[in-house]
Amino acid sequence: MKLVGFIIVCLTGGLLLYGTGELPAWGDPNSPASTHLSDDYITLALEQTEAPNLVTAVLADYRGFDTMFETAVVFCAGLACFLLLRDFRPKKDHYYRHVPTGVMLHVKNEARTVRTGREFEDMDREWVPSDTIIKTVCRILIPFIQIYALYVVAHGDFSPGGGFQGGVIFGSSLILLAISYNLKTLVKRVTEKFLGVFSSLGVLVYVGIGAIAMALGGNFLDYGKYAPIFGEHHIRALGMLGVEIGVGMAVTAVMVIIYINIVSEGRHDEGL
Amino acid sequence: MNNYPAIVVIAPLLGALFAGVAAWVEDRATYPIALASLGIAAAAAVNDLITVMISGPIQYNMAGWAPPMGIEYRIDGLNALVLVLITGIAFLNLVASYKNVQQETPDRSGSFYVMYLLFVVGLVGVVSTGDLFNLYVLIEITSLSSYTMIALGDKDRGAIASLNYIFIGVIGASFYLLGVGYIYIKTGSLNMADVAAMIPAMTESSTLLVAFILCIIGVWIKMALFPLHVWLPNAYAFAPVGFARIVAPLMTKVMVYVMVRLMVSVFGYDYIFTTLSLSDGVVWMGTIAILAGGIIALSQKNLKKMMTYIIVCEIGYMVGGAWLGNELGMTGAILHIVNDALMTFALFLAVGNMVYKLDRVDITDLQGLFAKMPWTMGGFVIAAFSIVGVPPTCGFFSKWYLILGAFEAGAYHFAAALLVSSLICAVLFFKVFEVCFFEPMSEGHGHGDDHGHGHDSHGEHAAVAIEEAPVASVITLAVVSVSLIVVGLYSGTIVDRIILPFLN
Repeated sequence: MKLVGFIIVCLTGGLLLYGTGELPAWGDPNSPASTHLSDDYITLALEQTEAPNLVTAVLADYRGFDTMFETAVVFCAGLACFLLLRDFRPKKDHYYRHVPTGVMLHVKNEARTVRTGREFEDMDREWVPSDTIIKTVCRILIPFIQIYALYVVAHGDFSPGGGFQGGVIFGSSLILLAISYNLKTLVKRVTEKFLGVFSSLGVLVYVGIGAIAMALGGNFLDYGKYAPIFGEHHIRALGMLGVEIGVGMAVTAVMVIIYINIVSEGRHDEGL
Repeated sequence: MNNYPAIVVIAPLLGALFAGVAAWVEDRATYPIALASLGIAAAAAVNDLITVMISGPIQYNMAGWAPPMGIEYRIDGLNALVLVLITGIAFLNLVASYKNVQQETPDRSGSFYVMYLLFVVGLVGVVSTGDLFNLYVLIEITSLSSYTMIALGDKDRGAIASLNYIFIGVIGASFYLLGVGYIYIKTGSLNMADVAAMIPAMTESSTLLVAFILCIIGVWIKMALFPLHVWLPNAYAFAPVGFARIVAPLMTKVMVYVMVRLMVSVFGYDYIFTTLSLSDGVVWMGTIAILAGGIIALSQKNLKKMMTYIIVCEIGYMVGGAWLGNELGMTGAILHIVNDALMTFALFLAVGNMVYKLDRVDITDLQGLFAKMPWTMGGFVIAAFSIVGVPPTCGFFSKWYLILGAFEAGAYHFAAALLVSSLICAVLFFKVFEVCFFEPMSEGHGHGDDHGHGHDSHGEHAAVAIEEAPVASVITLAVVSVSLIVVGLYSGTIVDRIILPFLN
C-alpha cells in the first residue's frame, strides 16, 4: 500500500509540474488573470460601488454571494461542533476546594453533594491557581480588544478589515476571558443559548439584507435597491457594512461555540 | 423580475437560519419551518422547470452584476430537472423521516433539521450556479453538513466512517479547487460560459489539460467512482436513517450532474472527445465500476451495505454513459440521474422503515418481512424491479438509452456490463425476497394474533401482526414507488421536452 501511495503522490506531483510549464511568469502584468477582469474591477469598482476598498468591493458586492455562503460555512462549522460534541449527560464526579485550607475534595457522585459558597468552591480537574496579575491585565485588556474588533468590522469597506477579521478578534477576546479566569466565568456571562441564537442571527442579517433587496424589486443582494430608504449616497458601501456586521456576529459566536465545546468535551463546565 | 432561481436556494437557507434561532427558543418550531421552506423551494423549482420548458434558459445575476464580473445563475433544462428532483426528494424525505429523527437524535432534533436544510442548500446551490468558484463554496457546505450528519449516526462506527469520508472528501474538493485555480490562471475568469468561450483557443495548453484532469478526478472522488469509492459504503450505511435517505440518492447524483455540466458547458465535447479522445478509457472505467460494484454488493450480508454498493454500481452506468461521446449515451446518463435518484430514494425509504422496526437489517434478520411489513416490502419490490430494469419502471428506460448509446459508440463491453449488472441485481434482490417471503419468522419476532386477519391459513404459523413503519413513511414510499412507474411511462416526454433541447 505504501508503494501505491508513493506512486500516486509522484504522479500527482508530476501532473502539477507539467501544468506549470505554461503558467505566466511571476507577476506578469499581461497574464490573463491580470488583464481579463482585473482591469474592470480596478477602474470601475470605486465608481460603481463607492467603496474605496477594492478588495471589499469584490468580496462583499461583486462576489458577495460567495461570501454569504462562506459565512454559512462558518455557521455550519459551529453547528457541527454543537451537534457532535455537546454532551447533556450529568457529570459523574465533582471537584471542590475547601477555601480556608486549600484541600481538594473529589466526590464521585452524580448529584452535587457539597454546597458551594464561602467555605467550598467549585473546581476544575485541571485547576490552576488563579493569578491576580494575569486576571487584572486581561480584565483591562479585553474591552480594548473588543473596541478594536468593532473598529475592524466597521471599517471593512474603507480600509483593510471586515467581518471575518473583526469577528475573530472579538471572539478571541471572549476566549481570553475563559483562559484568564475559567470557563464557568465565560459561560455565565455569554450563555450557550445566546451564542446559538447570535450565530444564526449573524448569517440571517446577511441573507436578510439580500432577501429584502429582492422584495424591494431588485435581484438578490442588490444593495442599490435600498436607495429609496437610505438615500443614494454610498448606498452600496452601506450595504457592504450591513453584511460585514452580520459576518462579524456569526464569526464571533461560532469562534466561542467551537472553543467551549472542544475544551470542555461538550460539557460546558470546565476546561482550559 | 423573475426571482425564482434565487428563491430555490434562498428559501432553504432562510429556513435553516430561522430554524437555527428556533432551535434555541422553541424546539418544536424547527420542523414546520424546515417543511415550509423546502415546500417553497420545491414550488420555485417546479416554476423554474416550467419556465425553462416554455421559454428557454433563465439567466439570473446575483447582486445585479452581469457576468463575468458578478456571479450568475443559469437555469436550463438540465439543472431545472435536477433542482425539481432535489427539492422534491428533500421535502418528501422530511415528511417521511419525522419519526426516525425522533428515534435517533431525540435531544438535538432541532439542530438536525438546521443541518439538513444546509445540506439541501448546498445541493441546490451546486446545481443552480453558473460560476466555477461558487460551485466549490457550495460543495463545501454540502460536504461539511454531510460529514456532521454521518458522524451523528451509528454510535460506534459513525464517527470513524465520517472521518474516512472527511479525509477523502477533502482531497476530492481540493482537487476540484486546484483545477479551478489553473483555469483561472489560464483564462482570468470563473464564469462557466466565459471560460467555455475561451477554451477552443487554447486546446493545446498543458495547463488546461491539468486543470481538466484535476477537476474531473476531484468530482469522481466526490461521486465515488470505483476505485475511488472506498469512503461511500461505510459513510452511508452508518449515517442516521433520516439523513441516509437523502444523501444516498442525491449526493452522488449531484456530483454526476457537476461532471456532466463541466463536460457540456465548460470544457465542451470537442475538447474532451476530439482533442483528448478520452472516451474509450473512461467507458472502460465505468464498465469496471459497474461489474465491481455489482459483485461486491453480491457478497454483502447487510442490507444497507448492499444498497450502498448498488450506488457504486449505478455510478458506473452514468459515468460510462456520459463518456460514450454520443447523444444517446448522454441522454441515458442524464435520464439515469433522475431515475437513479428516485430508485435509490425508494430503496432507502424502505430500508429505513425496516430499520425503524427491526433496528438491525442483516439479510438474515429479514425473515417473514412480507407478512409483517407488507406495504414497505411492496415499495421495496417496485424499487428493486426498477434497479434491475424491468419495464415499465423507469430503470428500464434509462438503461435502454445507455445500451443504444453503447452500441452506437461500438462499446460492446459497456453494453454487456449493463446487462450483466441487471442479472447481478436480479440475483441480489431475489436472494433478499426469498428470505423475506419464504423463510419463517424467527422466534421472538412474531406475535401470535388469531382474530380475523385471514392470513393464518398457511401451515402451522399463526398470523403475523402487521407492524408497519409510521404512516407518513409508508405513504411517502407509496408515492415514490408510483412515481417510479409514472416517470418510466413519461420517459419519452422528459427526453424530448427537457433533455434533448438542453443537449442541442
